[in-house]
Amino acid sequence: MEPAAAPGDARYGVPAAQWLRLEARRVRQPLRRAALLTALAAPAMVGQAWLLSAVLYEAVFARAPLSRLWLPWFGLLALAALRFALSIGARRSALLAAQSLAQSLRARLLRSAQRLGPYGLRREASGDLITRLVDGIDAVLGYFARYLPQVAGAALIPPILVLSVFPADWISGLVLLLTAPLIPLFMVLAGSAAARASERRYAQLTRLGASFMEALGGLVTLRQLGAARRVAQRLEGEGEEYRALTMKVLRIAFLSALVLEFFATVGIAVVAVLIGFRLMWGELTLRAGLFVLLLAPEIYSPLRSLGALRHTRMDALAAAQQLSALEDIPPAVGATAAGVARAPLAAAPEIRIERLGYAYRDRGAGLSECSFTLRAKRVTALVGATGAGKSTLLNLLLGFAAPDSGHILIDGADLATFDLAHWRAGVAWVPQQSHIFEGTVRENLQLADPGANAGALRRAAERSGLAAVLARLPKGWETQLGERGVGLSGGELQRLALARALLRESAKVWLLDEPTAHLDAEGARAVETVIRAAAATRTVLLVAHRLSAAHLADWVIVLGDGRVIEQGAPLELARSRGAYNALLEAAR
Amino acid sequence: MHKPLLPPVVRRLLTVLRPYRAWMAGGAALALLAALAAIGLMALSGWFIAAMALAGAAGAAIDYFTPAAAIRAFAILRSGGRYAERLVTHEATLRGLAGLRSWLFQRLIPLAPARLSALRSGELFARLRADIDALEHFYLAVLVPAAVALVSVAAGLLVALIVLPAAAVPLLLGALSAGVLLPAWMQRRAAHDAAQAVREAAELRGSLLDALRGHAELLAWGGVEAQAARIDALATRLDARRTRTERLQAVTAGAAGLCGQLTLLAVLVPGLAAVHRGALTPTLLVMVSLLVLSVFEVIAPLSEALPQWHATLVAGTRVFELADTPPAFLEPEICAPLPPAPAIVFERACLRYAEDAPWALDGVDLTLSPGARVAVVGASGAGKSSLLAALLKFHPLQKGRVLFGGQPLEALQGDTLRRHIAVIAQHTVLFNLSLRDNLVLGAPDADAAQIERAVTLARLDRFVASLPDGYDTLLGEGGGLVSGGEARRICIARALLQDAPVLVLDEPTEGLDTRTARELYVELEVAARNRTVLLITHRLSGLAHLVEEVVVMHAGRIAARVPVSDYLARERAA
Repeated sequence: MEPAAAPGDARYGVPAAQWLRLEARRVRQPLRRAALLTALAAPAMVGQAWLLSAVLYEAVFARAPLSRLWLPWFGLLALAALRFALSIGARRSALLAAQSLAQSLRARLLRSAQRLGPYGLRREASGDLITRLVDGIDAVLGYFARYLPQVAGAALIPPILVLSVFPADWISGLVLLLTAPLIPLFMVLAGSAAARASERRYAQLTRLGASFMEALGGLVTLRQLGAARRVAQRLEGEGEEYRALTMKVLRIAFLSALVLEFFATVGIAVVAVLIGFRLMWGELTLRAGLFVLLLAPEIYSPLRSLGALRHTRMDALAAAQQLSALEDIPPAVGATAAGVARAPLAAAPEIRIERLGYAYRDRGAGLSECSFTLRAKRVTALVGATGAGKSTLLNLLLGFAAPDSGHILIDGADLATFDLAHWRAGVAWVPQQSHIFEGTVRENLQLADPGANAGALRRAAERSGLAAVLARLPKGWETQLGERGVGLSGGELQRLALARALLRESAKVWLLDEPTAHLDAEGARAVETVIRAAAATRTVLLVAHRLSAAHLADWVIVLGDGRVIEQGAPLELARSRGAYNALLEAAR
Repeated sequence: MHKPLLPPVVRRLLTVLRPYRAWMAGGAALALLAALAAIGLMALSGWFIAAMALAGAAGAAIDYFTPAAAIRAFAILRSGGRYAERLVTHEATLRGLAGLRSWLFQRLIPLAPARLSALRSGELFARLRADIDALEHFYLAVLVPAAVALVSVAAGLLVALIVLPAAAVPLLLGALSAGVLLPAWMQRRAAHDAAQAVREAAELRGSLLDALRGHAELLAWGGVEAQAARIDALATRLDARRTRTERLQAVTAGAAGLCGQLTLLAVLVPGLAAVHRGALTPTLLVMVSLLVLSVFEVIAPLSEALPQWHATLVAGTRVFELADTPPAFLEPEICAPLPPAPAIVFERACLRYAEDAPWALDGVDLTLSPGARVAVVGASGAGKSSLLAALLKFHPLQKGRVLFGGQPLEALQGDTLRRHIAVIAQHTVLFNLSLRDNLVLGAPDADAAQIERAVTLARLDRFVASLPDGYDTLLGEGGGLVSGGEARRICIARALLQDAPVLVLDEPTEGLDTRTARELYVELEVAARNRTVLLITHRLSGLAHLVEEVVVMHAGRIAARVPVSDYLARERAA
């Protein structure tokens, strides 16, 4: 996967913006309602200005008492309430749109991410994926809930207001008509360069923040090396350098804001002075003049608010870039086309691997023409150098991927015809590095059998050696594990994984990936005893990256470059001068 | 004792930002200038056109030059002031941000790792990041709008008191409601949801992480749908909370506008009466009306500032609490002298991580004379890592002591001590610096020839040649662009450059596949040459050639110390 493009990067922009537009289409209805409610505020503003100018006109020229002005006074009150209601309504609609979008996005993106497949996901730094899924969606949410309605406001309100000025005073109308559209125009002219600059600045700020947090995260290593203070100085220097550079950019970037402010302010000033003189010359009524003056700032206000939300848009674009990349993940190679067969499995099925072939998209062959048999009630060990195809074979057996050619026959029935959930229900799997789920020890174990009772849990814990781990944990079975709980060491994890396998008593097949890797000699021997016992009623496949684990097997299969290069009983193989012997020698 | 105006957290933050107070005050002053100019522009314009209309109707003469010039001046002050304000406030923000980060970093250095649990948990670390973020936004998002609103309202009140005293009360009430009372009410209403939302967001993050990282387990054991349902339920709950909060915010934001209109209507009542009585010049009523409306333009941003203010308080409390944590060690003023080849002695060393935790080291006696090559083996939890933490002066002992070069660790400065100990570990971190900078982290004075030599010895030369920018290539965040084996080699070269008399190897080949691990054995041997070697591992296989003796640890105690050949023989027999 490519590193995510920084905001301001040339690649980002069009596709991300397009993606956001496409997403917006999914919630067109509530977004339109939000835009309509926002735009409805404009007539209300006109009404307010009209009534207020009437009241003030009466006060100035007729010194009218309040008793004569109650009607416009209450009119103003009603319009204030109406605007309040409209603003809440608009925001609610936009929020509704954003949230329904967020929910469907989350589900959709999770599915796309899972398309990477179990092993692809592990390779990806999934911390980064999570950041994209959670923070990215939040950033996009802000865009729909706040930025888009403001865009609608900036597009709809000023024209309505300018048009309504014309009947009162066409000269002011002309001034406003000329200055207001100039603002976006000038902003585009002064802004395109400035926007790029400010996007770059934003990216740099993010990078600076990242290197600060990185230094903080690696503080232990820095202290070990005695480099913490030096890095602190470096960070300070970088910050200073960045500040000088940024300020140079900002002086230009803020020019677009200056243009906006200048036009908005000068527009009001020109209108006020022009109106003043024409009032004196008697060319205009005070009422019309006040009306225009009251509306003038409202014309520029939506545009200014939009400028303030620019960061929301930039955040959303950066997020959209990453989210759309997530959607582009192709389905895993040979995505499993599952069958429907749910025939019951024999107590210890014989598994025949027939001329199995599997190729990875991005690296060399995984397996080719690989054939062997896992015999019932036997422990078969799979050995071979890294890349020989051991993990690939395990993946295919678990149905995480489908073979390109050849078959896996379970007591003669092709695995491809099986309902995978049904097949997996009969399998117990001990991976090399188990994932710990957020939850208690009990919940983590019950993944293998949600209905398991206390007795079954205890038995599994005792036989796997997890009981010793539990004794150490502050709350025993109820100890919270995972990110926010207690961490387990590699050896403890393996015991947990083994306990899971033991808990699933109905399992007919055990697939073990280096189950003793993190254990000391004593622990490893205990686990081997459990495996031997399990094999009495099951079919057991043991992948051994370290050869020492292979000696407990009844049969050893040596893989090399995706095919079987030797097989036999471990002691015989060790005595012969073949591949297994060579591997043993190399390990010494 | 009177109650201080500002909460201690804010005063503390302002103290840290003190060196930048000129910039900060300047930015706030410019913001105020621009805001006052905007208010003045509207108020004066209103008065001006009313006065001109009256003069025109009466055929009277009027000095229009002065107000017209003032209107132009206000216009220029406002647009120019806004530009200057933005420049200066950003300058202040950037300076403050750099200052805050550097201050915090300096404070956190002595806390790692014993007192900095945030470094071990992704979630705590993310929270620290968000907290720092909140503190960095304090000036722009809270301080400036609050100061501007406060002074603007005061100025508005002053004008009202002079022109139409009866208008002061509604103005004050309206401003208080829109700027303080309503946001505070919202804050209180939303507080529960906000706290819950933080917790649930973390939970959602965790569940998503489980769904992705644990996807294989979920597939194998059959829990994909259950996990998806859990995520959906969590997200729905979280979204509902956020909706409630956002709705409250919408009400508060809308209410600021409503308050402005209501205040205007309330001002009109005595204003119209005063004009009718002849107690108030009508043109001034126009001015006051427009003044009220434009003052509320300045108050409106406060509805966003108050939540930020609370975020600052919460974040600041946590950050300062962390920054004020006393370090695990008080470093001595001067460092005791060290011999060129120091011995390491643990004397009845006892260590535990919490009062109620079991002993991680339970009376360890261990001597490593200069040049000794010792492996410490044992299952996880046997105390191997604690041994290292004690030696590096990262964790204090509760009982017993450690001598390094004949000196108790208390007499040595941690940095000096650690300069004498090079570490090659599974968890050594690479930084997004250039390769060269990563290599010389522990030896900043190393010259090109020394670097070249270390790289050759660590067999990194071909890797360096393959890099697009050679030594200047950036390694990516967390060294992400480097493979596991190369990362370990970089650590070896780093240790070689540090040239310390003691070398600690902490699971040096863990996490690497067998082939890569085997390829490292030679380089590790090179690194170990002529040094005291302490190898920490749960399994000796493959690394036995690096040591002469093996210490077996069990439950925080030393179970045996035997020559490596005896240990291997015993292993083989078992």
